[in-house]
Amino acid sequence: MTESVTTPQTTPRTPTEAVVRINGLSKSFDGRLVLDQVDLEVDRGRIVSVIGQSGGGKTTLMRCVNLLERPDRGTIEVAGEVVHSDGRTVCRDLPRLRRTVGMVFQRFNLFPHLTAVENVVLAQRKAGIPEQEALERAVTLLRRVGVAHRALGRPEQLSGGEQQRVAIARALALRPELLLFDEPTSSLDPEATREVLSVMRELAADGMTMLLVTHELPFAREVSDHVVFVDGGRIVEEGRPDDVLDNPSRARTREFLASYGTAS
Amino acid sequence: MSGLFQVPWSDYRPDLVDALWRTVSYTVVSFVGAVLLGLAVALLRLSRAWPARAVAAVYTEVFKNVPLLAIIFLTYFGLASVGIRLDVFTAGCLSLVVFYAAYLSEIFRSAISGVHAGQTEAGEALGLGRAGIFGHIVLPQAVRQALPGTNTMLVDLLKSTSLLVTVSAAELMSEGRLITSATFRALEVYLVISAIYFALCYPLSQLLLLLERKVRAGIPLSPWRRRRLKAARVLLASAVEADMKAGAV
Repeated sequence: MTESVTTPQTTPRTPTEAVVRINGLSKSFDGRLVLDQVDLEVDRGRIVSVIGQSGGGKTTLMRCVNLLERPDRGTIEVAGEVVHSDGRTVCRDLPRLRRTVGMVFQRFNLFPHLTAVENVVLAQRKAGIPEQEALERAVTLLRRVGVAHRALGRPEQLSGGEQQRVAIARALALRPELLLFDEPTSSLDPEATREVLSVMRELAADGMTMLLVTHELPFAREVSDHVVFVDGGRIVEEGRPDDVLDNPSRARTREFLASYGTAS
Repeated sequence: MSGLFQVPWSDYRPDLVDALWRTVSYTVVSFVGAVLLGLAVALLRLSRAWPARAVAAVYTEVFKNVPLLAIIFLTYFGLASVGIRLDVFTAGCLSLVVFYAAYLSEIFRSAISGVHAGQTEAGEALGLGRAGIFGHIVLPQAVRQALPGTNTMLVDLLKSTSLLVTVSAAELMSEGRLITSATFRALEVYLVISAIYFALCYPLSQLLLLLERKVRAGIPLSPWRRRRLKAARVLLASAVEADMKAGAV
């Protein structure tokens, strides 16, 4: 397959341009601070992994990027446009923002009443892509993630790994500029985890921009350009994967990594 | 047994066909109305605005706890006594609609709220608007959930049209009463009338069970979906073919 379906159809930009720029992000749920003054940037073509304990705010941080969660303070910029600022949604075209940002969920969240191929077609049709083109793209993507043979199956007939790969195809269908992965392998067995990680590895090799919340530290080390350790709603430490994972400078990071056995 | 069937049924056939047609009309019109009103009430009940929820809750509780016969008398005789004269078909359908909408709204509400929140989120993340999420994601899944209860209600509604005999609605039961008063053969007449109801309801409920099974098995029912899946099948087959050619080279 030669067609690269992940390449965004935008004009090439400077390599250091940030697809996501988050400044001073804070968010509370029922008076409990889950994000506290977080800054984060994801440059085009880069892969940033967010690690940390459950309940530390990683997922909330990621969900703020496509405004599934609305922060209380701080600004979020996506693809050069401020979308949220100090508790106000500035972005007037929310669907368009969300088509710029693809998202893959921990529990797949495929539409159970539709076949795999229809799952990938639905949002394309709603975005105005013609039927035949949407179908062709869906088939191409399902082949790319290795589940074309299951294209006419419904989610309940697919294994976990197959479902998550369909979900990745679905997220890619709108040619997003950025993919968000929210613990994509946390509900998978080791075999399925390998399948999904290998698809993500290929996306990474293709230059897809990705923001990834993960517990797969070896994978984070392997594919990431940048690793962020979040704890108690704050970024405790960040940097190159080798530095953060092998040579952490903060005691809290060391403690977290130790709880994983050895990080590698 | 020769003494049992003495009514000249062939004389009554045109009237019975008329009555049967009227029973079906009451059923279809009332059921469509009840589904629409029930869906509206269910959506109000799930609304974020509490006054909407309160109105819907009061509606549901009132009509669930008043007998259908009382509602029929209220709409036909009660309203007429204050100058609102509805013809018997309108009054009959209205009664059935408001009564069954209350039950259906409960079925729909639990079906809609039973759709996992992650489904809505996935729709949002894909840039679908509220209407798109409801129409393409929540509603189809809710329909699956609601189908068994809704089907029960449809058969129940058909049988309840017989209560309209009290306002002489000219449906099957009314016709039965008419024939009885002309022939004085109550047992024979009502056995036949019951048999006709059974002949309507049994195939209907079996058909609905079949529909439930098909929907649960994910068999595409709309021609529109079938066309999409057919086109997908063609694309997949040609992709496999291309792969085999590439492999053979």
